[in-house]
Amino acid sequence: MSADQALKQASATPVAAEPDRWRVGSALVARRRFMDRLATVLSLCATSVALVALVSILLTLLVRGAAGLSLVTFTHSTASPGLNGGLANAIVGSLIQTVIAIAIGAPLGMLCGIFLANYGRGWVASTTRFVSDMLLSAPSILIGLFIYQIVVAPTGRFSGLAGGLALAILALPIVVRTTEDMLALVPTAMVEAGIALGARKWRVIVFICLRAARTGVITGILLAVARVTGETAPLLFTSLGNQEWSVNPAHPMASLPVTIYQYAGSAYEDWVQLAWTGALLVTLGVLAINIIVRVGFDRKGA
Amino acid sequence: MSVLAGDLREAMTSSAMIAVKNLDFYYGQHKALHGITMDFPKRKVTGMIGPSGCGKSTLLRVLNRMYDLYPGQRATGEVMFDGRNIVAPGMDMNRLRARVGMVFQKPTPFPMSIYDNIAFGVKLHEKLSRAEMDARVEDVLHRVALWSEVKDRLKSSATALSGGQQQRLCIARTIATRPEVVLLDEPTSALDPVSTARIEELLDELKKEFTIAIVTHNMQQAARCADQVAFFYLGELVEIDSTDRMFTAPREKRTQDYITGRFG
Repeated sequence: MSADQALKQASATPVAAEPDRWRVGSALVARRRFMDRLATVLSLCATSVALVALVSILLTLLVRGAAGLSLVTFTHSTASPGLNGGLANAIVGSLIQTVIAIAIGAPLGMLCGIFLANYGRGWVASTTRFVSDMLLSAPSILIGLFIYQIVVAPTGRFSGLAGGLALAILALPIVVRTTEDMLALVPTAMVEAGIALGARKWRVIVFICLRAARTGVITGILLAVARVTGETAPLLFTSLGNQEWSVNPAHPMASLPVTIYQYAGSAYEDWVQLAWTGALLVTLGVLAINIIVRVGFDRKGA
Repeated sequence: MSVLAGDLREAMTSSAMIAVKNLDFYYGQHKALHGITMDFPKRKVTGMIGPSGCGKSTLLRVLNRMYDLYPGQRATGEVMFDGRNIVAPGMDMNRLRARVGMVFQKPTPFPMSIYDNIAFGVKLHEKLSRAEMDARVEDVLHRVALWSEVKDRLKSSATALSGGQQQRLCIARTIATRPEVVLLDEPTSALDPVSTARIEELLDELKKEFTIAIVTHNMQQAARCADQVAFFYLGELVEIDSTDRMFTAPREKRTQDYITGRFG
């Protein structure tokens, strides 16, 4: 009886059709496909907004800056309005201050990075790492004020050296970070192989590890150069700027960013033009460094 | 125990290059070696086998005090080498490592030329003239059978060599400092069979001059290359004997099980 009933019931319920397994979850797939396309479109939009802004800045800079570019730009120093001045003092001043910055910042930063990568375990190391990372994002005007307090105020004069020092402090954490990161990529086996030959640790670090990491370390230094050449704020209170030709680091010194800052807002047309040209030169310089880094070093897998 | 084996053991101990006695080793709190006592006979190849983590590499790294690089690692006991206990304090580590060289699992050519790879270690310990250095480089490259392959590009980068060539270069670099002992930590595990065979041939040549200790996971390699074999398990030296006896008539069941592949 009960078996009979069960059989009846079973045959009463319609046998579910074998599902088409090609179509299982097709609604879900469709929704995912839509979300995927939406996300692609949105990120393309965001990219193009950024690209349009960048290209427009670069184009404007190129057109307006190139208009004032001539031999005079490189041979003459800045001059009073209407006297056909150039940017020679600012260009050379920028170069000198960058050289001072890297001459101080790169060796210090490399030594610090070496310390962190090879001996960096205790609290000294973690504090150093923290301070260095904080310095990386510190407002650059604060660094200018800091140098003003400890160099400019006591000596009683603005100077190219003070400007270079401020830039060195900006370059320092970049070099520290890249040196540490690049040294960390050197395999432990390489260090052990050097030690196993009877070399002292410093020798292994200098002649093997640094050599293995050299492209990365050089890249870091170049990036630091690119960073500091565009800085204005730390120079306002340190090297101040100089209308005259001066290569003496003990005196106030002109630089491209400060000149741009002073001239861009002026009422004189030729000064404004010089500001555009200066901006173009700084941008081209930074661009050149970045291209060198990309083309010259990235490929070698640093 | 047969008279012959006894004689052999006698002969081996009498000419021990390195004599390890009651050696314990610690990674921090963890004890990794328990009272190891064994000899490394002069100009013989000692094979060290055992499952991963059994302490064979640890023992190898005691013999040149590589563990000193890492704080928290320490050894107690006695490792006699040329009349001195090398695990005792006050050891000149760099001198020791010049006399006890090491070759690693992965080839580790330095990022410099083939020539400089070899000169680097030599310069640390000897002051050679240009001509003497040239001769030294050529000599060791001949000995590792690499000379004909690289003689025209000694000044080019060592990293461009193949894996097998790199490993032979590393061996050349190690013997260039004229050590008495050469430690090899799984030197062929990253190499193809042809390169492996060449390294094994090389060991036969090298043992005429050097005392060799080789850690290997490859049973055939131990059987082919070693004069005596030590089997480690869980930080203990289970058994050590001549290669023949080890592979034909081991005394311990654990050794038997391991070499026949019944556990690992």
